[in-house]
Amino acid sequence: MNKEITKTIIKRILSSILVLFLLITFLFFLLRVSPGTPYQKFVSPELSPKLSSIVKKSFNLDSPLPNQYKSFIINLVQGDFGISYTYRIPVIEVIKNYLPFTLIFSLISFVIQLSLGFLLALISVKKINGFLDSTISKTSLFFYSIPSFVIGVFLILIFSDWLNIFPSSGLNSFDFNSYTLLGKLADYTTHMILPLITLSLGGIIIFYKYLRDNLVEVYNKSFVENLRMHGFSEKYITRKHVIPNAISPLISVVGVELGLLFGGTLITEVIFSLPGMGRLTVNAILSRDYPLVIGCTFVVGTLIIITNLAADIIKAKLDKRLLKGILN
Amino acid sequence: MRSKKLYIIVLLLIIIFLPSCQQQSPLNSNRVVVAISSDVQSLNPLFVMNYDEGNISELLYASLVQHDWDFQKGEMDTEPMLAKSWEWNKDSSSITLNLRKDVKWSDGKPFTANDVVFSFDVYSDPQVQSRLYGTFKHFYLDSASHIILKKTFIVENPYKLVINFKKGSIPTFYDIDFPIVPRHIFESIDRKNLITAEKEMKPVTDGPFSLAEWDRNQSIILKPNKQSFSYNPNGISELIFKIVPDYNSQINQLKKGEIDLVQDIKADDIHSLKENSKLDVLSLKGRDYDYIGWNNIDPKIYNTTRKLVPNKLFGDPIVRSALTYAINRNEILKEFLDNHGEIAIGPVAPIFKNAYDTSLIFRSYNPQKAKDLLASRGWKDINNTGKLSKNGKEFSFTLYYPSGNPRRKFAASIIQNNLRAIGINIKTEKMEPEVFFQKMYNREFDAWMAGWSVPIPIDLKTYWYSNLDDTPMNIYGYNDKNVDLLLDKIENEKSTVRSDNNYKKIQQLMYHDEPVTFLYWIDNIIAYNKRIKNMSNSPLGPLHHCWDWSIKK
Repeated sequence: MNKEITKTIIKRILSSILVLFLLITFLFFLLRVSPGTPYQKFVSPELSPKLSSIVKKSFNLDSPLPNQYKSFIINLVQGDFGISYTYRIPVIEVIKNYLPFTLIFSLISFVIQLSLGFLLALISVKKINGFLDSTISKTSLFFYSIPSFVIGVFLILIFSDWLNIFPSSGLNSFDFNSYTLLGKLADYTTHMILPLITLSLGGIIIFYKYLRDNLVEVYNKSFVENLRMHGFSEKYITRKHVIPNAISPLISVVGVELGLLFGGTLITEVIFSLPGMGRLTVNAILSRDYPLVIGCTFVVGTLIIITNLAADIIKAKLDKRLLKGILN
Repeated sequence: MRSKKLYIIVLLLIIIFLPSCQQQSPLNSNRVVVAISSDVQSLNPLFVMNYDEGNISELLYASLVQHDWDFQKGEMDTEPMLAKSWEWNKDSSSITLNLRKDVKWSDGKPFTANDVVFSFDVYSDPQVQSRLYGTFKHFYLDSASHIILKKTFIVENPYKLVINFKKGSIPTFYDIDFPIVPRHIFESIDRKNLITAEKEMKPVTDGPFSLAEWDRNQSIILKPNKQSFSYNPNGISELIFKIVPDYNSQINQLKKGEIDLVQDIKADDIHSLKENSKLDVLSLKGRDYDYIGWNNIDPKIYNTTRKLVPNKLFGDPIVRSALTYAINRNEILKEFLDNHGEIAIGPVAPIFKNAYDTSLIFRSYNPQKAKDLLASRGWKDINNTGKLSKNGKEFSFTLYYPSGNPRRKFAASIIQNNLRAIGINIKTEKMEPEVFFQKMYNREFDAWMAGWSVPIPIDLKTYWYSNLDDTPMNIYGYNDKNVDLLLDKIENEKSTVRSDNNYKKIQQLMYHDEPVTFLYWIDNIIAYNKRIKNMSNSPLGPLHHCWDWSIKK
């Protein structure tokens, strides 16, 4: 059994690497055939055509595509994504400035989404179609239908403009470095609360809806009736049987959702002026910063693949446990 | 059990919220926060490309001289900076600079004439490809446009320097006005790698401010340089550039007092900003304009054969003038800009008082006159369909403009309505900016809408000279030999009065040719917190001379 799982995992990793390779190859050619040039803004209007052609040449974009691709792949294998045209430092260095924020921000938001979604679903199914259940269902639909940029702006209006509790933008205060550790933590917390609500609200509701429906479905299964007949307490049934059964289909959704979060949370980043991968990637695309676009895609693609792989492995583990449980 | 859970939840909430209740250090009231919409990519003066980068790097690195705008004369004044005095020789072919002796780099090393010579050397070095490479036209250059140092500079002592300009050239102070870099820092780096070496270089500066912190994509914090000759002990204690990408967030934070200065205010917001008792709004005549480019030549023929063949639709000055008459520029100005602008007539902004020709009267909206002019060139509504045609061909074209600019989008819809009303079949199409500008510079459009900013000092030759091979910015394919002659004259003219007269003559010729439809000059509007004293807005921007700012107590 274990051998089989290891084999499957290795297979998955290999196919993931292939997918990643195809993705960036596709992107490499797509960027070069798409219109727009990365060097126009570096050419001063006063430069003569001869001198401006020297500037253009320095981007190494005039050699034939296969040659460019060859050197790109050789560099990539050595872990070198090249130098960002706009930041003029290695792509990896640029990404290093933005990735930690995105990772931490997404993970916290993810934990909030999952735990609150789960909590709400549990409250809801305590009495299906009861007062709490229908209230949560209806309000969640209301919040789900509001786009996140509207929620963000509203939160700023209420909590930042009117109540003046939280700052409206940025990751930390200007005096951040002079604070004590506790002060720094507090500073981050106050800055992060509104962005986290904006980013997490949609996810909470997705998880809530998904889990609630799964829970209801499992509760109606005959084996639950069977357990009830044998006199097991409702709490025991929920904990040991209903929840594990309801969670397992959710895990693939979790993998996708986490991957999407890593891709950058553009709207939240723009509204709250946060330094994340979303803004970095979009700006790189708009300014035709080819190496940076490929670097960002590679990093985010890798994260998405890893989370999905992890989700699948966890699912397999859970299934096995369930299988054993049923056999016993 | 239930109470235990409750305790844990309450404890968690306390851990999260307690620290945030204890507010941080009291607001630093001597600090000024300026909003910028995106992070700067470089503060290395050799490579700063955009407006914000230029502004910040000029606060960090001092230049030999500085320029200030004289509102009375409508031109620039030159003032001392690193050079405390100077003397031009009789024929202005060389200048002797007496440098300040009290300037120190932030690492304690003294500033000397060697830093100046090194700066000229490195800015003009083809290996470095600085932003100024190729622009040292008045200097002795080798074949790769690198300044020949031996011929150009005589260092008489560490604080006295002679610069010899190329024979026959007419140098000005602008030729020596750029930030000087510290030799002892820059020379240790291989010149080819200077462009990517920002990370390894300590920002050793000598300007009115020094860099305290650069939190990527969050803020750039500058502190006044106490060693600087411009240091004002009663001035501000910190100048912070806060990166806020969303314009509406900038306005909100300005109103809330989180930001002190926002530039490029939209006309829509002026009213609500003026209502706020803490804020002040300054509006200034600008030097940026929008225009509709009518390709004077046939782009396809030019791009394949390099031959200049008049454009079938827009090759005729009378047709171009008619199109200008047909467009209601006042409506755009009133509706979108709330009259914070001025109808443009030619390529010289009204702020250049001496060079601007006030005798010219703009072609006001007159659809009937437009129709008559077009009819005189054969464009008539022959079949009574309401559509103009000539030799069986309909007057039809597409007007392209870059996306992401609401003003141009609004203008495009007005222009479309105006031209359709006189029988022209016009379509409008917006394009992603990078694609648009690539096509524009490749001269692929027949008609497009974009904008320029008139540089200080005025430079028309880069944009209007008829030799298209040497003038890539003449994207309209404009060619008028008389204008060329005047542009050449200006380049070799020592007298500013005669240059100004020549600028006026150029405007008259271009008024007649109407190479493009100049739409409007856009006012430069800023809003700031009244607590800042000595705030002023000039064509050089509000940050110019910001070391003179102080805070009202």
